[in-house]
Amino acid sequence: MIRQDVEILLVEDNADDVELTLHALHQERLANHIEVVRDGEEALDFLFCRGPYAHRSFEQAPRVVLLDLKLPKVDGMEVLREIKKDPRTRAIPVVILTASREESDMANGYHLGANGYVQKPVDFDSFRNVVKHLGLYWLVVNEPPPPAAFQAK
Amino acid sequence: MSTDTTERHLADEAARRAGALDRSLIEAGLDPLVTIAPDGKIIDVNNAAEKVTGRSLQQLIGTDFSDYFTDPGKARAGYEQMFREGLIKDYELQIRHRDGHVTPVLYNAWVYRHEAGDVIGVFAARDISERKRAEEEIRKLNEGLERRVRERTAELQATNTELEAFTYSVSHDLRSPLRHIDGFSKLLLEEYSADLPEDARRHLSRIRDATRRMGMMVDDLLNLTRLGRKELSMQLTGLSSLLEEAIGDLQPEMAGREIEWRIGKLPFVECDPALVKQVFADLLSNALKFTRPQEHAVIEVGETTQDGRAVIFVRDNGVGFNMKYVDKLFGVFQRLHRPEDFEGTGIGLATVQRIVHKHGGRVWAEGELNKGAAFYFTLEAVESRPGESNSSPGGAA
Repeated sequence: MIRQDVEILLVEDNADDVELTLHALHQERLANHIEVVRDGEEALDFLFCRGPYAHRSFEQAPRVVLLDLKLPKVDGMEVLREIKKDPRTRAIPVVILTASREESDMANGYHLGANGYVQKPVDFDSFRNVVKHLGLYWLVVNEPPPPAAFQAK
Repeated sequence: MSTDTTERHLADEAARRAGALDRSLIEAGLDPLVTIAPDGKIIDVNNAAEKVTGRSLQQLIGTDFSDYFTDPGKARAGYEQMFREGLIKDYELQIRHRDGHVTPVLYNAWVYRHEAGDVIGVFAARDISERKRAEEEIRKLNEGLERRVRERTAELQATNTELEAFTYSVSHDLRSPLRHIDGFSKLLLEEYSADLPEDARRHLSRIRDATRRMGMMVDDLLNLTRLGRKELSMQLTGLSSLLEEAIGDLQPEMAGREIEWRIGKLPFVECDPALVKQVFADLLSNALKFTRPQEHAVIEVGETTQDGRAVIFVRDNGVGFNMKYVDKLFGVFQRLHRPEDFEGTGIGLATVQRIVHKHGGRVWAEGELNKGAAFYFTLEAVESRPGESNSSPGGAA
C-alpha cells in the first residue's frame, strides 16, 4: 500500500497530552498513522474532508477518533454532534478521552452517540495502560465499519 | 313636713347624689362608655365616647349605635348577641370619628336592668390602637426578618454553589498538569535511567510520589464536591445489609490480620443507601487502618440511643487520638498522623460528615490516645425499627 490511511485521529489541544499520548501509542507499537489535530474546527475539516483536508475522501475514515472535550473554537461535544449527525461520518467510532468525570459530560457524550468515554488518569502508568487498551481494542480487536456503513440510507 | 315626706325627700336626695356619683364615675372613665336600648338607639354616652366619635352627647342620643362603626353590620350583630346572651366579651370593632379617623376597640358589654324594668345595654370600649400598632409593627418586623432570611439563604446557597463550581473546576484543571508532570518524569526515568545518577533517580521518584499524592487529593476533592451537589435518593434501608456490603468491599484490607468484629443490631432507616454505605466504608476503613498496630483488633458496630434518638457507632481499639484535636478530625485534608505511619489524604471523615449532614444528622467522635476511637452518627430521618436480624460479616479472620 502506497499511502496508508490514518488509523487514529487524536483531537487534543494540549501539547503535553499530545506528546504523552503519542509516546504511549508508539511505545506499545500500536499505531503507525496517527493524525493530530489541535482544535474542533480542524477535527471537523479532517473528518469532513474540507479545507486543508479537501484531498481526503470519506472512505478514508480513521479507525477511531480520540476526542478531548475542552477544545478551542469548536468544543468536543460539538464535534461529536456533527460527526454523529451526518450519515457520511456517523459510523466512525468516537471515544471521548478527557480529564472530566463530570456526570453531565458523560451523559451528554453518550446521548450524542459517543462509542466510549475514558477519563485520563493522573498517574502516567495508568494513563499509558488506558491508551494501550484503547489502541488494542479499536485497532486490533474491533472490526471497523464496512464502506456501506458510511452511505446515507 | 311629715316624717313620710321628709323620708322620701331624703331618699330622693340620696338617689340624686348616688346618680351624680355614678355619673362622675362614668365621666371619669377613660374608656368610651355607651348605653343603648334594645333597639340599638343610644341612651347615654360619656365624654370619652363623645371624643372618640367626634360628636356631642346631644348629637349621639337617639341615633343608632351601629352608625358609628366602620362595619355597622358587625356592630349590630354585637349588640343583638349581647341582648340575647346577656353579655359579650372582647368584641372587636372600629369606631369611625367624624373626621374619618378610625379607632380599633375591644368592646365588653352587658345587659343592665333598671329598677323600673327597662333593659339597657352598657358598652365599654377599650382603645386597642396601641396594641394594633404594636401588632402591625411585629408583623412588619417578622415579614422583614423572613425576607432577610430568605435573601441570606439564597445568597448563601448561591455562594455555596459558586464555591463548589469553583472547587470543581480548579480540581479539574489541576489534574492535567499533574498528569504531565508524572508522565514526563516517568519518561525521564525510563529513557534516561542509565545516564542519571542514583540521587537524580531518587529525586525523580519523589516527584512522582508527590504528584500521585496530589492527584489523589484532587480526586478526593472532586468526589467531595460531587457529593455536595448530589441529590439524595432516599429509601427505607436496612443498615445491617449496607454494613455487610461495606465490610465485604474492605476484604483486601483485612488480609492476614486478626480482627474481631462485634456487630450489633442495626435499624432500618430512610436514607440514601449508596451514601450511607460510603459512611460505613470510610469509618470501617479508618478503624482497620488505625488498629493495624494491634495484634488483636476489635471493631464494634452497633446502635445506641441518645436523647431518645437512634445513634449508630463504630468503635475500635486502635491508636485512637487526643481529644484536644477532635475538632480537626472532620476537616478536609486534616490528618492527625504522619503519612509514613498511616496513609491517606484526610478526606474520609470530611466525606462522612458531608453525607451525615446531608441527611440532616450529626456526627461526632470520642477517642483516647492508644486506647481507641469511637465515631457516632445520627441520620435525622432515623426511625428505628426493631426486628432486623444480626448480620454476620463473613470472612473476617
